[in-house]
Amino acid sequence: MNVIQAVKLYITKMTEESGPGMKVILMDKDTTSIVSMVFSQSEILQKEVYLFERIDSHSKWDNMKHMKCIVFLRPTSENISLLCRELRYPKYGVYFIYFSNVISKADIKTLAECDEQETVREVQEVFADYLAVDRHLFSFNIAGCLHGRSWNQHHLQRCAQGILALLLSVKRRAVVRYEAASEPCARLAERVRDLLRREAVLIDNNIPFNGEIPTPQLLIIDRRDDPVTPLLSQWTYQAMVHELLTINNNRVSLAHLPEVHKDFKEVVLSSEQDEFYAKNLYSNFGEIGQTMKSLMDEFQKKAKSHQKVESIADMKHFVEQYPLFKKMSGTVTKHVTVVGELSACVTRHNLLEVSELEQEIACQSDHSKHLQRLKNLLSNAAVRHHDAAKLVGLYALRYEKHASNALPSLIEALKNRGVSEQLIKSVINLLEYGGAHARQSDLFGLQDAVKITKRLFKGLNGVENIYTQHTPLLKDTLEDLIKGKLRENLYPTMGGDDGAYGRRPQDIFVFIVGGATYEEALCVHQINQTYSGVRIVLGGTTVHNSTSFFEEVKAAMQGVHRTHTRHIRNV
Amino acid sequence: MAATNDEEILEGFLCPICKADLKSASQLTSHFESLHQEEQDVLKSLKEIFGKAKKIILNNDDTDLKETFDRALKFSYQESYYLNEEQTVGVCRSTTDYLKAVRGARLERYATETNKLLIRLDKLVCNMPTEPNQRKLHEQEVVPWLDGSSVKLCPNCAKAFNLTRRKHHCRLCGSILCHDCSLFLDIDIARAVVDPSAPHASNQPEQEITEKNGLRLCEHCFNLIELRKQVQDTRNAKTVLMTAYEQMRSLMDQARPAVAMYEKMCQSLFDGETTYNLTDVNAMRGRIGKLAEGIDLLSKQIATFPTDPGTRQARLQNSIRQAAAHYIKEDLLSLRKLPTEAQIEEVRRQRYERAERQIKMERERMEKQRDRMEELAGPSVSRVNNDDDDDNPLLEQMNIIRGYIKEARKELKFEEVAILEANLKELKKEYQLQKLSSKS
Ligand SMILES: [Zn+2]
Ligand SMILES: [Zn+2]
Ligand SMILES: [Zn+2]
Repeated sequence: MNVIQAVKLYITKMTEESGPGMKVILMDKDTTSIVSMVFSQSEILQKEVYLFERIDSHSKWDNMKHMKCIVFLRPTSENISLLCRELRYPKYGVYFIYFSNVISKADIKTLAECDEQETVREVQEVFADYLAVDRHLFSFNIAGCLHGRSWNQHHLQRCAQGILALLLSVKRRAVVRYEAASEPCARLAERVRDLLRREAVLIDNNIPFNGEIPTPQLLIIDRRDDPVTPLLSQWTYQAMVHELLTINNNRVSLAHLPEVHKDFKEVVLSSEQDEFYAKNLYSNFGEIGQTMKSLMDEFQKKAKSHQKVESIADMKHFVEQYPLFKKMSGTVTKHVTVVGELSACVTRHNLLEVSELEQEIACQSDHSKHLQRLKNLLSNAAVRHHDAAKLVGLYALRYEKHASNALPSLIEALKNRGVSEQLIKSVINLLEYGGAHARQSDLFGLQDAVKITKRLFKGLNGVENIYTQHTPLLKDTLEDLIKGKLRENLYPTMGGDDGAYGRRPQDIFVFIVGGATYEEALCVHQINQTYSGVRIVLGGTTVHNSTSFFEEVKAAMQGVHRTHTRHIRNV
Repeated sequence: MAATNDEEILEGFLCPICKADLKSASQLTSHFESLHQEEQDVLKSLKEIFGKAKKIILNNDDTDLKETFDRALKFSYQESYYLNEEQTVGVCRSTTDYLKAVRGARLERYATETNKLLIRLDKLVCNMPTEPNQRKLHEQEVVPWLDGSSVKLCPNCAKAFNLTRRKHHCRLCGSILCHDCSLFLDIDIARAVVDPSAPHASNQPEQEITEKNGLRLCEHCFNLIELRKQVQDTRNAKTVLMTAYEQMRSLMDQARPAVAMYEKMCQSLFDGETTYNLTDVNAMRGRIGKLAEGIDLLSKQIATFPTDPGTRQARLQNSIRQAAAHYIKEDLLSLRKLPTEAQIEEVRRQRYERAERQIKMERERMEKQRDRMEELAGPSVSRVNNDDDDDNPLLEQMNIIRGYIKEARKELKFEEVAILEANLKELKKEYQLQKLSSKS
């Protein structure tokens, strides 16, 4: 159940089926992202694919009959008509067409009618219809999936199709479970069930039913049940880069930095193409800095003894002596740039202090102390407005029902430090989006005796790492599911429980409506390692950092009247 | 959900399950361990909390440089749980047959029409008289022209015929059209279309095709013939680019097994084997170098074929060169360095010595055993094996495990019992093997 591998296998199949020869790949915006998540351009070049074209580009017609064209598109009506145009006046010799999802017979007929030159050799459905972010993490890159608390229909359809494709791509059947309290989860679960039913024949023919192992489970949950995780500062490499620099389709823009080398204006961070990243994506920040420094020292030492690298012969020699250098030097310099910027951010914005308080608010319980420290931080000019708003948001969620809740005065403090109205509104939105009324789980562990005691112990004995105390709610949910203890009344099964409840599933797909986070991806990674035989794939409408999460919340609360925050009158 | 947003203060060391107050952390842990075994994970986290030292994020340890270097480079990322599964390509569904069925039915019409036109075209260009009037007669003989006396407007552009807009006929279908709507097919091209094997007429530089050197056709007929020509062109076009490209790919196909072989030979040398000698491996290296040169040359050639900059063709040629350069750099120039004669000697010597030592040790062991056997052979031959076994570590191990099994049984931990029993069985088997080998 490695989703990167699943997409790679599909793309490799496409490049191989067309046989040897010069190839071009014709894609749309979405499939371009899907492919670029798993292959670098140089890897694809090695598969004889030399041109990358967009179906929606209006470049002029060329006679390129000596090339084979691999078409890889989402089956949208817009794409069908663009492809018809292409087939009527074919630029390339032959066409091998692949749709990333189910395509209707009517559309095939339309295509057939346009193919007067008989250039089409293959039409297939392959199910690489999601962005494979990591081996156990996928996304649809949908920012703001809900509008006014319910689905944007287009997004709903996209997610359902994508989840169907996910299951087909890793050849798993699945029972669908969803968070009972969430309307959007129920809608998505229904839609997925409908698609699975419609493709029952395809599934029966290709995925044999295996009574030996428990049926895999697809669990659809709502971000609103845990609005805390996306707000927290992160200290593992991948999550930290996303929080502070934003990762978009495995790419990070550093163009805003002064004096950045031209090669690093945009860097690719992909565990498939970058061993250093693969090795360190879950390492904490301190470890990475150390590793990097050692590497640099080592290289510099070696480079000194071989200054003359001018001719090809020199290069050859150098590479022969240090094949590792060849592999690493480029990537290490890149990571030095990235880590350097992260480090600057941490100092510039007092992130250690901010993070410590975030963690304590999220994991411990001491209202007066937290309030005092929060007030102190709000008056610290080095703290960014964004972080200030985040902290107040966390406080608002954590102490929503506390007798001495001081949210109005904190909002006043935000106003005084000049935080934009927009950002202050985010705090209120957050409370409407993920306040106690919206959650079905015991997010802060206020009711569970085990959790209460755990927290107490933490307070007494100190914690392993004050910046990483928090574990996402997802961990508890998944552990319950693994043990067959996830309650059927809270997470019902589509079409009723057919005995699957209580059986401990081994293969699990969990999808978060409203977006997943890299902290949760790390958590899933750890569970996969801890529980032998258990394989979990995590997905989300997108992968959030706190900034994109605020946007998500804003979109979800668009046009919704305040019902739970009306008592806060100063916003 | 209406959370009882508590803030109720819990004091002391309460058991999370039964809420008994246990006074100290260690007492709580042991209470927990003996009374709430099923809550293993909670226990584990308790132990973690008590056991681990504080670790902070900013790791200032000065680890050994070399070690960090190695650790960072070693690719230990492929964790076990991903390796468990041999992943195959996901579900696919082909709809090619359906497309072909729809297309076939539709194209049949075109095909018959094109064939009809081709037969006519063949008759037209074969023995075509050059004298204009005779040519006209010839043309009308092959394709009868439509009677245009009642036609007042051009059927294509709907403009009225008059003195300046005169009636003309398509030479292939005989239909009526005006001059503006006519298209002219180069007679030389027409000849090539009906007989692709004929030598291609030398392309006259941009000569305008008129009534004289061309055939007047309607748009419909012209397109059908043009389409036919394009299909033929693609089939026949084996351009310089294609030839160079295919040569380059064939060199790459030869290089791949050569590199694999080289690696194998090289490894064999490093292992001190005598299968290959240094000259063999050097020759292999030379061959790979030659292939790399060839690929380099051909790809450079491809990159410099004349095209207009910025066109697809230019991008294609650049990409091919880029891919080839990358391939040479990554796969052909990063070959492992060969060992020197001296190194090889050293490895072989070490290997030989190792073998010597092993043989010697084996011999000594055998002799010792024989001595013992002889010693014991005297008084009690029947109990030979039991006496010298008291200090056998395997026996000791087995006894320990037996003890564990007993305890596990007592505590009804049967899963544990099963595992331990399996271990015991393994040990017994090992022990018996040992006895057998020492007997012989
Ligand atoms: Zn107890
Ligand atoms: Zn005609
Ligand atoms: Zn006309």
